[in-house]
Amino acid sequence: MITQSNYMEYRTPQFRRLSDDQLERIHHASLEILDRTGVCLYDQEALDLMKKAGVKVFEGNRVRIPPGLIEWALSIAPKHITICDRNGRRVMPLERNNVFFGPGSDCLWVLDHRTGERRRGTLDYIEQGIRVCDALPNIDFLMSLCIASEVEDQKVADRYQMRAMLMNSTKPILFVTPELEGCKDAVEMSEIVAGGAEELRRDPSSVCYINIVHPLRHNAESLQRLLFMAEKGLPSIYCMVVSGGSTGPVTAAGAMALANAGELVGVLLAQLKREGAPVIVSGGYAHVFGMLTHGGSGGRPRLLGARPEMAHYYDLPAFGLGGATGAKVVDQQAGAQAAFSLLIEALSGANIVHDIGYTGRADCYSLELLVICDELIEFVRRFMGGVEVNEETLALDVIDEVGPHGHYLDHKHTLRHYRQEWYPKLLDTGKYEDWVAAGSKTLRQRASERVDEILAEHQPEPLLPDVQKRLDEVVRRATG
Amino acid sequence: MTDIRQVIASKLYQGEKEDVAQLVQQALDQGMGPEEILSDTLMPGMDQVGQDFKAGELFVPEVLMAARAMKAGVSVLRPLLTGSDAAYVGTCIIGTAEGDLHDIGKNLVGMMLEGASFEVVDLGTDVGPGVFVEAVRERHERHPKIVGMSALLTTTMVNMKATIDALEEAGLRDTVKVMVGGAPVTEAFAQQIGADGYASDAASAVEIARSLIA
Repeated sequence: MITQSNYMEYRTPQFRRLSDDQLERIHHASLEILDRTGVCLYDQEALDLMKKAGVKVFEGNRVRIPPGLIEWALSIAPKHITICDRNGRRVMPLERNNVFFGPGSDCLWVLDHRTGERRRGTLDYIEQGIRVCDALPNIDFLMSLCIASEVEDQKVADRYQMRAMLMNSTKPILFVTPELEGCKDAVEMSEIVAGGAEELRRDPSSVCYINIVHPLRHNAESLQRLLFMAEKGLPSIYCMVVSGGSTGPVTAAGAMALANAGELVGVLLAQLKREGAPVIVSGGYAHVFGMLTHGGSGGRPRLLGARPEMAHYYDLPAFGLGGATGAKVVDQQAGAQAAFSLLIEALSGANIVHDIGYTGRADCYSLELLVICDELIEFVRRFMGGVEVNEETLALDVIDEVGPHGHYLDHKHTLRHYRQEWYPKLLDTGKYEDWVAAGSKTLRQRASERVDEILAEHQPEPLLPDVQKRLDEVVRRATG
Repeated sequence: MTDIRQVIASKLYQGEKEDVAQLVQQALDQGMGPEEILSDTLMPGMDQVGQDFKAGELFVPEVLMAARAMKAGVSVLRPLLTGSDAAYVGTCIIGTAEGDLHDIGKNLVGMMLEGASFEVVDLGTDVGPGVFVEAVRERHERHPKIVGMSALLTTTMVNMKATIDALEEAGLRDTVKVMVGGAPVTEAFAQQIGADGYASDAASAVEIARSLIA
């Protein structure tokens, strides 16, 4: 081999939206918001923890947080969190630029992949959808997809959803529960499957996703769940959603600084509860309030890609969002928005990219979009893999051997490497005649058929009957 | 013990040419007839390769490896088959149309045809009508013949008609079947210029070639 001196190689595309100076300025803006304006905490334990740390409470539940305290929390919050699958395999090491993908949770509606009809989410849909997630190679973790609307007491629907996820896939789970009791039950169910509390702490397979809509007003249920998870030593995602122009400034930098400030409060409280508690943040999630539509506008180019950079500024794992669309059906808009967002989140190094398969106003789930995204993610992953340049890949000897008149079709170099290339399955790259012969189907139709194929073929690894029984008991106890 | 026919078929499918040649010899040593090995083992094995290629399960390099393995197996049998070229089901004289240097498709078709036990005479690229006519005349006394032409350009595909006309003039048109292919070529165009067959890809080219000499 030839020795090359001072050789530099790019194996992945390089991408930055914010400079180091800009990130630092946003960080200082967040510290200033907390020190100057302060936040309201609607939970006594959270207030007590703040008092114990020397923070003065005023107006009953409002605290101004000194910057030094935040800096302390950031210095001890873990920078490396590994999420495991149901069998304790360490499948999602959240660090720097590792990117993992998965669906969203709790949609009110679903798009039926066979009829195209929009109907209420059901437990049956969750079970089937999770089986699809289990089968898809590029879906790394689970969320509940939709709400089990047929459960009479909606306060306990989250237990049914948790059980459905645990039973139909081995992949890691991001669970959402409205209240603390549901969170405790979700953790208990995860412990049953993991084989005990210590086992789950060592190889965490479930993450509690906490979403706060006002960064300066932290509600009791969110704080209680955060502190419970911290006490257990289990990971939480503490994510703000600022609606620019409504719950925060309409300008991107201000909305981001505000959202980031709220997340830093979560990082601090978790550390006050238990030093070293694992917390995942978004870096300051914000979208623009739809001034025309009185709701979310979905997708904000100015902020895309910037948030994970903020999380990485702290070396904390970054929670991201992609593979979703504002479109009401799986159409060209859906494809474009899903592709853009998946690529940008990957480029920016978001460690957990969720909401894949969301349509409409993040309120309607589509399995067709999910399987399309699975293929788009493959594309993204191949793209992120970069270009390998070395003697073997330059193949100069092969080029000389084949010469101007030969071909490479059956050369052993071709045989060695052609499988490393990507050949799409769902995206059509074939001949017109073949497309017609196969029924002239659109991508949406092929995706719908793929969902049915998976449902017909794929059976997830079952849980032991005894474990299932104990999960049922938790659900029954909650239902009362 | 596994039937040697199955082992040969699976080695053929995997493109292991040395193994196939060796196993064919072994089958002969065990007393199997050469015709039987060809028709019951190698040909069905290659048909499976063609089918799986059409279904998108096999990739081009794998098909070509299988075709090479087929060739290796047949070369063991050839001296034993009655008549010098009885191991061939037919002869294909192929080349790209005059003025056309795009030969990947033609090469693929050639290798697939060899894998299907055709004798392939590859005239190369930019083949004028006269060269085709001469090649057909030389093999006048041989078994069923096919002339195969391909073109990638709309400007060269018209030259395929010139070859058909030249075969007509030379009084050889009735001695051969003509099949055409290539990206701009369609079934309708093939009929229009008086060709006997059209194939849209290398796998279907084998099917068409077989049906033309059946």
